[in-house]
Amino acid sequence: MIVLVTGGSGCGKSTWAEKLVQTLPMEKRVYVATMQVYDRESELRVERHRKQRADKGFRTVECEKDLANAPIEDGSIVLLEDLVNLTANEMFDGGDPARIVPAIRNLAARCSHLVMVTNDLFSDGMEYSPSVQEYLRCLAEINRQAAEMADCAVEVVYSVPVALKGELPCV
Amino acid sequence: MKLYIGGAYQGQEELARQENPEGAFFPDFHETVREAVLKNGREARSFAEEFCREHPEAVVIANEVGAGVVPLAAEDRAFREAAGRALCVIAGRAEQVTRCVCGIGVRIK
Repeated sequence: MIVLVTGGSGCGKSTWAEKLVQTLPMEKRVYVATMQVYDRESELRVERHRKQRADKGFRTVECEKDLANAPIEDGSIVLLEDLVNLTANEMFDGGDPARIVPAIRNLAARCSHLVMVTNDLFSDGMEYSPSVQEYLRCLAEINRQAAEMADCAVEVVYSVPVALKGELPCV
Repeated sequence: MKLYIGGAYQGQEELARQENPEGAFFPDFHETVREAVLKNGREARSFAEEFCREHPEAVVIANEVGAGVVPLAAEDRAFREAAGRALCVIAGRAEQVTRCVCGIGVRIK
């Protein structure tokens, strides 16, 4: 099963995605962490996510960039969190965002379940600098490709899951 | 408890008042959260839980505020985060959540 989870900030996407993984087998659960820790705020965010996932049987793989080479065994149940950070890291930290979609495709083909978390950054009506606009365009394209690959795409709205594609899994 | 949400000016308040003529309304609840958390130092979730205990029959109306680029100012980020966390609690407790777009309500819970 391939699932894409989207929604606004602070709306319970991670919590829902983790609950979904808990309905799947316990073995070979891998959490792919993409966030760069650069200040107290991001430290706290990572800390909060860690606490949330404790005792859920995840092995954590740090992957700020280059998803294709992340050490993930075939047959794993992968929770990839998230495409927003991964894209930003590839784009603004000397990587290449064009390698994200092929890496996701490869991962989807060889793991037993893939749950991807992304974020809806696209509805604030603001005009940003060209590099941020390019980032948004690029992330939107990745989200669209990921949704196309997914059996099921879900928007989490203040903790309420809304199916955008496919049938809503029971969590 | 009922929750009506939507982007800015999407008609969630009008719809809430139409559908619940006798309701105890709490409009602009995202602003209530802003004041509680950013001004009065409350923790978003516990504030929302306390609110639910005190107003179990409330009709809560709020904006969705998380669907944009992460703001540069720490206070703006904290506001979005707080509104999200608090409204997840409210939505969890509500027997009904309605999302309004262009004045059209979609019952999502």
